[in-house]
Amino acid sequence: MKERDVVFIALFAALIAALGLIPKLTLAFGIPITAQSLGVMLCGTVLGAKRGALAVMLFLLLVFIGLPLLAGGRGGIGLLWTPSVGFLIGWPIAAYVTGLIFERFRSAPTFLLATLASLIGGVLVLYVFGIVGMAWNMGKSINEAAVLVLAFIPGDILKAVIAGAVTASLLTARPQSVLSRT
Amino acid sequence: MLSFNSPVQTVWHKVPVGWKFLLVCFASIFLFVFDSLYIQCIALLCCVLFYAVGGVSFIRIGAKKLLFLWPILLVIVVWHGVTGTAMQGIAFAIRLISIVALSNLMTMTSRLSDLLALIQTALTPVRALGFSTRALEIAIALVVRFTPVLIEKGSTLFDAWRLRAVKRVNWRIVLPMSLIAMDDAEHVAEALKARGGIRAFASSHERSHNTD
Amino acid sequence: MKGRDSEPLLALVNVSYRIGDKTLLSNLSIEATERRIGIVGRNGSGKSTLARLLCGLNEPSSGSLTVAGVDVATDRYRAIRTVGMLFQNPDHQVIFPTVEEELAFGLEQLGQSRDEAQRQLRELLAEFGVMHWAEQSVSTLSQGQRHLVCLMAVILMKPKLVVLDEPFTGLDMPTTAQLSRLLEKLDASIVHVTHQIESLQEYNRILWLDNGELVMDERPTIVLEAYCAKMKQLGSTDAFV
Repeated sequence: MKERDVVFIALFAALIAALGLIPKLTLAFGIPITAQSLGVMLCGTVLGAKRGALAVMLFLLLVFIGLPLLAGGRGGIGLLWTPSVGFLIGWPIAAYVTGLIFERFRSAPTFLLATLASLIGGVLVLYVFGIVGMAWNMGKSINEAAVLVLAFIPGDILKAVIAGAVTASLLTARPQSVLSRT
Repeated sequence: MLSFNSPVQTVWHKVPVGWKFLLVCFASIFLFVFDSLYIQCIALLCCVLFYAVGGVSFIRIGAKKLLFLWPILLVIVVWHGVTGTAMQGIAFAIRLISIVALSNLMTMTSRLSDLLALIQTALTPVRALGFSTRALEIAIALVVRFTPVLIEKGSTLFDAWRLRAVKRVNWRIVLPMSLIAMDDAEHVAEALKARGGIRAFASSHERSHNTD
Repeated sequence: MKGRDSEPLLALVNVSYRIGDKTLLSNLSIEATERRIGIVGRNGSGKSTLARLLCGLNEPSSGSLTVAGVDVATDRYRAIRTVGMLFQNPDHQVIFPTVEEELAFGLEQLGQSRDEAQRQLRELLAEFGVMHWAEQSVSTLSQGQRHLVCLMAVILMKPKLVVLDEPFTGLDMPTTAQLSRLLEKLDASIVHVTHQIESLQEYNRILWLDNGELVMDERPTIVLEAYCAKMKQLGSTDAFV
């Protein structure tokens, strides 16, 4: 792996952290969001499947050993036994799938493709992991867990659209730095 | 620098990080396997005692870090209440508090360098098998170095927003933050290359470690 | 807004600013009506903190601070109509990808319609002879040009006061000269925070801060001479204090 790849992976892990530590980010409707899952989608679209997943894994490694980098200043191995475990484990895979789709169809319009890739990777795939993890953690059925997370889906769909718009702008502003397209 | 260490010094600061890590790990598994309300209450009491050794202000800092949990706790209890397993819901809620409290305790009483050394230790077998872990070590060093930098630059953007708008900062700030991360990445990559790339950087890094 | 012009531009009464137990500014009392005010001091003297207070980004820990009669920290609605700021690094100030969006943002926040904002920003771009920038991405502009974009964004909002925080750092001499000429022509009053004191020769009044306290408050010739002498003396010693 080239140094440029390593540095981008590290800086995007830092970006996920920074997106979580900056407080008071709100959506148009005043719903507070953790911009961190937006960061995960961007890892996929900007860095591509492999590097994107590695960036998210690097971030999680530091979180699990105890650095308080998760939104709200959380961190520690104990997170593996909380209801959100599935979402955390699903993050690298979400970034991978998002990146895979965005890398594959180069001729498609950027905004639409990035949004779609984020929807499939960062919402659909992520929720499969999230729901399974929650059901396991709380000893409930998959269906029951699914009902519980339903409320968060609109916010995450919005995030996918934002990820699409940001990706399209990044591709215009810094085409040579969007590794998934170089 | 990332600083999250508690200002209060406790006996937990003296316990080696590796032990604390294993302790949190085992305690979490234990609480997960034995999920009776009785055991969970005892565990929570233990957590309070663990924090109590640091005095009142330490408990207060610890409690503040748990505040973000309340919506989740509420959902868990209400949900279990509705589905007719209220007692289990309360047990689960208490378990969540204990596990997060223990994780926080480790973070609050460990130095950043010790936490990072934990990764080094965990990587020893990988290195013994002949794999190079240099790229990972550099990547970790960069994350630790650049997270505060990005936060700092990000907060300048927040200021720029506040100077021109009464409305709260929204998602549009994500674009310039990503641009800053990408530009910084290009600069650092150049600097790293100029100093001989990952290999050179890592070996000099190693030497300085060995002379410690 | 009636009667506001009679208010002094800056009115600080016993202003202190503390973070934890660290005092960054202590007991500043300043009343100023001058149109060009310079603030000098070493790194960590508190001059940037004062700049942030003047823009209302931070609230004084104690004392009162108003700019043209507006309590800038609490009355944000009026504050964004009263004070503008030019940062050291335009990359930390520009939020939007294109010049047009960047310039329109402030105007729309002032409550103007999209069309009206477009009209005004295009008028200003034409005035500066850079009409072709409108749809251009900010990242394609040079450092000096990006500074100009930031300045235009400030000018469009017609503030009474523009605070400059080391705006010339990293600019080459021609760009510095061009930018300072533009600033001279500005209708708004200016508070210029810097340690490059050469750029303050023509100013009306200079405040010298050290350790969060006001050391001197005089005409430029007097302050600058004393300041240079002190800095030379400090520079000749080897101790980094």
